[in-house]
Amino acid sequence: MSADPARAELDERLLAWMREPGWPEDEARFAQTALDLFAFQFSHCEPYRRFCEGRGAVPDALRDWREIPPVPTGAFKELALTSFPLARAVRVFRTSGTSSRARGELHLDTLALYEASLLPSFRRFLLPDLAPGERAHIVALAPSGADAGDSSLSHMFQVAMRELGDPESFFAVRAGELQAQPLIEHLAACESEGPPLLLCGAAFAFVHLLEVLEASGVSLSLPRRVRVMETGGFKGRARERTRDELYEEIQARLGVPATRIVNQYGMTELGSQFYDSNLVQPDAPRRKQGPPWARVRVIDPRSGEPAEVGALHVFDLANAGSVLAIQTADLGRDLGDGFEVIGREPGAEARGCSIAIDELLGGRG
Amino acid sequence: MTADEIRRRLSALRRAGFALRRRPAPLTLDALARVMDGWSDADSAWRAALERDLPQATGFAPETVREGLRIALESWDGAALRRLVADELGAPDTVVGPDATAVLLAGSIPMPTLLALVAPLVLRSPVLAKPGSRDPVTAHHVARSIAEVDPLLGACIAVVDVPGDDEAAIGALLEAECIAATGSDETIASIARRVPPGRRLVAAGHRLSVAVLGEEASHGEPLRRACEGLALDVALWDQQGCLSPIAVYPLGAGAGDRVLEALADALADAEARWPRGRVDVAAAAAIEHERASAELRRASGRPVAIRSGEAWTAVLEEHPTPRPAPLHRFVRVHPLPDADALAAAFTPLSPHLAGVAVAGFGRHEAQMRRALAGLGASRVCSPGRLQAPPLDWRREGRGVLEPLVG
Repeated sequence: MSADPARAELDERLLAWMREPGWPEDEARFAQTALDLFAFQFSHCEPYRRFCEGRGAVPDALRDWREIPPVPTGAFKELALTSFPLARAVRVFRTSGTSSRARGELHLDTLALYEASLLPSFRRFLLPDLAPGERAHIVALAPSGADAGDSSLSHMFQVAMRELGDPESFFAVRAGELQAQPLIEHLAACESEGPPLLLCGAAFAFVHLLEVLEASGVSLSLPRRVRVMETGGFKGRARERTRDELYEEIQARLGVPATRIVNQYGMTELGSQFYDSNLVQPDAPRRKQGPPWARVRVIDPRSGEPAEVGALHVFDLANAGSVLAIQTADLGRDLGDGFEVIGREPGAEARGCSIAIDELLGGRG
Repeated sequence: MTADEIRRRLSALRRAGFALRRRPAPLTLDALARVMDGWSDADSAWRAALERDLPQATGFAPETVREGLRIALESWDGAALRRLVADELGAPDTVVGPDATAVLLAGSIPMPTLLALVAPLVLRSPVLAKPGSRDPVTAHHVARSIAEVDPLLGACIAVVDVPGDDEAAIGALLEAECIAATGSDETIASIARRVPPGRRLVAAGHRLSVAVLGEEASHGEPLRRACEGLALDVALWDQQGCLSPIAVYPLGAGAGDRVLEALADALADAEARWPRGRVDVAAAAAIEHERASAELRRASGRPVAIRSGEAWTAVLEEHPTPRPAPLHRFVRVHPLPDADALAAAFTPLSPHLAGVAVAGFGRHEAQMRRALAGLGASRVCSPGRLQAPPLDWRREGRGVLEPLVG
């Protein structure tokens, strides 16, 4: 718990909300907590305070959480955006990347909020059929938190296994390598009447597994209660695919239909995650939804106003230790009670013959 | 248009090309020189028609299109084409191009389209062109102008509107003996993978341009004039071209702040004369993202400064390290202590460099231009002239016609 009484009080309120049973939507509580948290971050994160002052957004002047200025995700590559003394950080999560590129960093002074926030969403959107007292068999196509201490994804899977997984749940990446053959043998042996089976990992890890299956001519038919969660992109990998192509291959090689595959939209800079709704609302159009303590706004950057298609701005109260309002580099479509991610900022083809300097920099992300 | 229709069109073009090659080459060059004279004439009906249609199709402001065409095409006349042929081929009949050339266009700037369509015809290679999605009109205008001047040449050019994701149709286009393609590294790599064996691929990748200002252009009137020129280079085609500067490197202590202020004034003036065109949501998001990133760096105490208007942005950066370029009139200023720091600053840029605008080096200017050429720039010129390359500009260090014939 934070040494700062104001922050401790905020954390307590948030933890209480996150631990409430059910799915406690509460717009008034979100609005008030967001403004309170903004005031705290304004006074405790010096760069953010100056940034907000430059935009004329100070706590006393704000009447609506929608007026809280969002910081761009790119800033996390250059600044330690914390609302606590950096020396109190207990964990740093870093964005994926190569040594030639700056990596975004999220400094945390407590893991309590992060963990409390991830579990309700993980359960609701990936394991809605989990019976009381039942545990899922979770297989993560990722390294463990011990092997990848700065990976928020690995930490998320670790917490999910601890809280929701059966004792046989495991990480299938060891020493930086996907242990494909043992994994395939394990999956082939999974019984159809067993607990819910969740295969989860980065999209490119699934690509690797599918390539091994293809090379060996093996197709599996996974148990009835299987579901897949994939996240992230394919850029820079051996062969890029569309998400539809990935899902077709997963269906062909693992026997998991697209209706049982969930894309997670998350990023290191955020404490909460967003998931496709297809498992929890199978009859409704697929869209992304998040927990009650996070909101996504789709903003037309030309007007600063909400739009059907625009930049995705995330307001996440689980980001108590950093900045709650984030301007992502993604574009999305507002679908009412959810949203759809429709890509990143400008494609190279939109740039005439001028180089997309992203090419020079090795890609954004 | 289906793949089979494209194949039939290719066959018809090859037949027309056979007739073209039986005609004396100088007659073809004469006709193409007349085409270039027409496009170079600011009062021609072709120019008027393109100036009418391009803004709607591409989103550029009419004033920007008019000025961009005026500056770029004033020297692209028939005489320039004859010089190009003489320089690269010696005589027009010495070399014959491929039986057919497919030209896959990209981007929204008309001059590369004009040259890409005329060049194969100079070599008497018929052209099947696919416009890029950002400019669906220029290729049609150019094809009509060629047919108007010379019906035989008109039979040797066709423009097909094929969506970029129509794999079968694109595959049929790639059956031409030569493929000339423009695009991102990713696009070029994708095309290269699909070009059948035995076909020639002439690819032009994305490039960038910058400016270097010496100490003599960092004060007073020389600074104002240099920034006025740079603002024109930025404003034309809304920074979408490979010759649009995305960054300025001023040399000398304190020059960065002065250049930022002068550039901001000039960009504001340019906006009044040549308004920025349409900006889509994705580009606007990128601009906002980079503006906010710069604001945060400044808020954290780093020596970063921002000047912006509704349609332009100038950012004074702390380091010379390249940063994302959202374009649409977004310029970064990277101050350097002296000319010795240029080589290191240009190291990441060099493989992608097209043009450098240079001013303020006095009697050392020629030496600086040679140095910049040595760092990879294929066009080194004064501010305000980047967007007016000569017809025989050796982009990426190679000729206009030579690559089509090997």
